Amino acid sequence: MKRREFVKKAALTGVGAAAFPYILPSGRLFARTNAELADHVVYVLFAGGVRHQEAVQQLYLSGSQDLDIGGNIMYNMLNGTAPDRKIVYGITPAGEPDGSSPIPPVLSTSLQSQGLFFPEVTAQNGGHYGGLTSLLTGNRSIAQGLKVRPVAPTIFEYLRRHRGFKASDVWFVGSGIGNSFPLLNSSDHPQYGTAYGANFVAPSVTFGADGVEILSNAKVYHPQEELEPIQRMRAFLNNTFRIKNGDIDGIRNDENERENIKAFIRQTFDKKQTGGLVRPPILDNGDLVTVQYAAEVLKYFKPKILVLNLTNVDGCHSNFTGYLRSLHRADHAVGWLWKFIQNDIPEMAGKTIMLTTPECGRNLNPNPIQDENDWFAYDHSGDFNTRRIFTMMAGPNIPSNLTVGSETNRVGRATDNVLTIAEIFGIKDAVAAAGQMDAEAKSLFDQI
Amino acid sequence: MRIFNYLGMMLILSSVLFSVGCKKDVVAKFEVNDEDVFDASLIKDRPKTNKQAISILHTTIFKKAISSNALFRTERVIESFGDKSLINEVIVSNYMNSPDVVLPSDSLMRADLDQFIKDTYKLFFVRIPSELEVSYFREYLQANPNVTPELVYMAFATSDEYQFY
Repeated sequence: MKRREFVKKAALTGVGAAAFPYILPSGRLFARTNAELADHVVYVLFAGGVRHQEAVQQLYLSGSQDLDIGGNIMYNMLNGTAPDRKIVYGITPAGEPDGSSPIPPVLSTSLQSQGLFFPEVTAQNGGHYGGLTSLLTGNRSIAQGLKVRPVAPTIFEYLRRHRGFKASDVWFVGSGIGNSFPLLNSSDHPQYGTAYGANFVAPSVTFGADGVEILSNAKVYHPQEELEPIQRMRAFLNNTFRIKNGDIDGIRNDENERENIKAFIRQTFDKKQTGGLVRPPILDNGDLVTVQYAAEVLKYFKPKILVLNLTNVDGCHSNFTGYLRSLHRADHAVGWLWKFIQNDIPEMAGKTIMLTTPECGRNLNPNPIQDENDWFAYDHSGDFNTRRIFTMMAGPNIPSNLTVGSETNRVGRATDNVLTIAEIFGIKDAVAAAGQMDAEAKSLFDQI
Repeated sequence: MRIFNYLGMMLILSSVLFSVGCKKDVVAKFEVNDEDVFDASLIKDRPKTNKQAISILHTTIFKKAISSNALFRTERVIESFGDKSLINEVIVSNYMNSPDVVLPSDSLMRADLDQFIKDTYKLFFVRIPSELEVSYFREYLQANPNVTPELVYMAFATSDEYQFY
């Protein structure tokens, strides 16, 4: 670079940096195309591979282990009576058999009764990452590789780009850092990408033992006397270096959001130390811990959208009893979270739609592995049963106690959820016009 | 015999004429080479991996290598958060709270600001600062006597350039 050119570029950069310190992904390129249906969405990826027989069909052991014992173990979400024999999925009172005491329901009315239920939805992908990608992008994700960000834009990016949400308005709370979960907060799409991604947190790590050691002792700098000089000097250094947006992997919050998130991290560690974290009545597996922290995120940020990923039911690959316990707890988690929003977050109560869908089902036939009860385990390798999932919605502008579709009249696809959320936030047409969705995807509101 | 003497003289004469007459004029030509005023070491286009970033940061701040166990755990924590720049800042501020952190004293910094600035650029960015950069920090530190080496280190350790090599 010649000196003259350098001086010219440096001057222009200086002026530009003063006028636009950061490129904020908040510009709306499209007007809203329909009225908003709710202020907030909580989208539960009821994931890990939920077998339709133990969930919607409420067959308990009769659909898997050749035992004539049926019943509903998801009674916060679904209508139906619980099994009356061979109870293994609950908690273990002292001196009693393992899992013999079912967790009491947290909702007096099931989510099925409160809202809209699509019992026979078709998953577009039989694997975890592909299935989750479909749920988050509305794309069939056939060409999606593992260990790379989604190819098509995620719902986070659509909402931030077309609806103008800030980074701290959109959160993805993951159950861990395996299976490429941290990559699902944005795509690699050139017109969207990390500039429009969501804040991701995997609480089991961030606030787990590693996080306590590595993050919890962070120094709190005085806002004016210490933090401001740091920010000023850093701004100078960054303006000198001038990386392009997206050169650093991961999303970026602006300075105000950063300080707010740092305060949240500090507060959460303090609450953890003093036992002040909110908690579901039962807190004995990873999914419930994830939900606990998701509730803290909801209470603190009141985000426009929070996506929550559960995974523990995937233990079904080798332990059917453990799978039943995890399924029962996932239902407990979802029921408690819904109740928490309605009772403990006034800014979101009555203004939030919750949408729940598994990313895939599980096989009709078992694998040879037997657990402590001699019950067979189930994989998810792509048979028809693996494609059977369900979707449930509750909240404002959602019809109550309405079931759409049946085993003989399948309605809904996993890829419908993104357009459905886009409709809730008033940008359905803009998202559809982006042309990145499954061609057969439709908003669930259009299928009632 | 005479004719041979004549031919010999002609041969010597012509070779002398050739050797002198064919010599090219040397025209001295002076030009200025194109030189980048932009420091080539600023061209850092490869982001450090989390492992690289943490290893280097730990060595820079503590003057000793991070243990493999701590490195593994720190990498996991970075992966668990979407905004890498933010979580990096929290990690650095956590380091700054450690009694083992090795920082120059404020008096040492203020005794020779230019040298401190150059040393800090070399320590974190592995390059010599431009005159503009030295000038900015010199003036900023002179105008803000409460700014400590720790705050300067925080700014460098959490800057974009530190994430690249």
